[in-house]
Amino acid sequence: MLQMQAWRPTVTHAASAAISHRVPDPFERLFLQEYPKVLAIAYRVLADRTAAEDVAQEVFLKFHRSHSPDSERASGWLHSAAVHSALNVIRGDRRRAQRETAHALDPARPIIANPERLVEEAEQRREVRRALNRLPKRTAAVLMLRHSGLSYAEVATALGIKVGNVGTLLRRAEEALRKEVNRATPE
Amino acid sequence: MRHLSDGTLRRIYDEPLALTAADQAHFDECPDCKARFDAVANGARATTALLRVPAFEAQAHSAFVAIQARVKREEAARPPRWYERWLDRTSPRMRPMATPAIAVLLAAVLLTGLGVSGVAQTLVRIFEPQQLQAVQVSPSDFAQAGALLDYGNVKWLPEPPKVQQLTDALAAQAQSGLPVLTPASLPNGVSGPVSYGVVSHATGSLTFDAARLQSSASKAGVRVSPMPSTIDGSTLVVNAGPALIEVWGFAGGSGMNVPTLVIAQTRVPTVDSSGATTAQLEEYLLSQPGVPPELAAQVRAIKDPSTTLPIPIPKGLATTESTQVNGTPATLIKAVLGAGVVWVKNGVIYAVGGQLTSDQVLAIATSLH
Repeated sequence: MLQMQAWRPTVTHAASAAISHRVPDPFERLFLQEYPKVLAIAYRVLADRTAAEDVAQEVFLKFHRSHSPDSERASGWLHSAAVHSALNVIRGDRRRAQRETAHALDPARPIIANPERLVEEAEQRREVRRALNRLPKRTAAVLMLRHSGLSYAEVATALGIKVGNVGTLLRRAEEALRKEVNRATPE
Repeated sequence: MRHLSDGTLRRIYDEPLALTAADQAHFDECPDCKARFDAVANGARATTALLRVPAFEAQAHSAFVAIQARVKREEAARPPRWYERWLDRTSPRMRPMATPAIAVLLAAVLLTGLGVSGVAQTLVRIFEPQQLQAVQVSPSDFAQAGALLDYGNVKWLPEPPKVQQLTDALAAQAQSGLPVLTPASLPNGVSGPVSYGVVSHATGSLTFDAARLQSSASKAGVRVSPMPSTIDGSTLVVNAGPALIEVWGFAGGSGMNVPTLVIAQTRVPTVDSSGATTAQLEEYLLSQPGVPPELAAQVRAIKDPSTTLPIPIPKGLATTESTQVNGTPATLIKAVLGAGVVWVKNGVIYAVGGQLTSDQVLAIATSLH
């Protein structure tokens, strides 16, 4: 029979030391590192800050439910989910146009010297998003990922393609977008 | 040499340094490629202008606070995970010393670690398992009137065990103080991500109280045999944990939370007593209402109850056989949907199980490192 003094308190100490030094949460680390990019992608697609923030939250929430933040593929997954979720939103959201106009006329915005120009800009952004909507999804995705500031390597990882093919796809996507925009607004 | 492709020219516009030396040499000398580059660059600039949006700064920290709140709400709303249900079922906090059957089996899963107190000086260790023995139980054994009986005062020193779910192996290792175990290879069908459950080290005590038992028994309308004076007033201190549970892959996203592989380890639980001996407790608890005679007989048959941990095996749903894991005696559990193996080594109980065959389970168990 053993006496109680035989107890080894080392485990408790190790555990409490770990807690007091607060092991940084890997999800938090990933979030702070990737949130600006995920938001930038969604914003570039939607041209609407509130809608982009909603998409970014949904993307991270979905990630948290099903993936480990330590996964090597975490960033690629997030970027891909961001662009596809945002593209889904412009494909399905009828209220977006109203929100965009409201956003353009938001009195909190600093530049209000020329409200007509703001409305014009908002109209152009809307036109571009309509054109984007008509592109094949992969074409739209490569375009938006690169124009959100992702490197060619990051674009390749997010879309599961070779980095050497990004330039070609991007070039074609840019041509296709300009063609769509020009077709809609013949000068 | 062939001219550079439009794709390569497009990349030069964004990432000028990504060009290979050969492509660079060609580009430097080729007026044709330079002219095409200008066209590609103009196209890129025009697209950038089309896609321009007003700038704003991302507020990552406040966004994180928001998502944390949503994660918490979701966690609160989701049904408990299998190991949380397991803990709830066995935790005296939820059901004070539920049935005597559980009181005996408590040791199998219970919670451990004595903090302070002068009581410690007078305690004698009455249970510290060094081997395992399967005990057949029916789920209905635990659903009888005995469940309402209150055997005495339950306390946590200082608090009940906590379950944490982590995704980071290093954090799980730091929190549990147990090394994360990795199988040499995973069978087909088992894949990541791995999630880690850490049950904190905890100590609970039960002070037997004959009057309380009597009053809860008469409330429940059950007859209990009177608590012997050797047991009344004596305190059991149960130490358990920490435990580290590694779970691979939940099949399906919703509802079907079935882990494909689970590797669990916990320091052996111990029970110390301030008076009653193992034999007295066993004799008394096994004769209480709510303990099926069949189960009592199985527990009584255990040769050395103070060093043997009964593992409850659901009757009719699983069978057990003796085996070895790297030379250590182990119990292999075979069920319809899967298999598991449990063994004790150097004061730690290990278990490996999942929707796997016995051979797969044993291969994983022997390859852990």
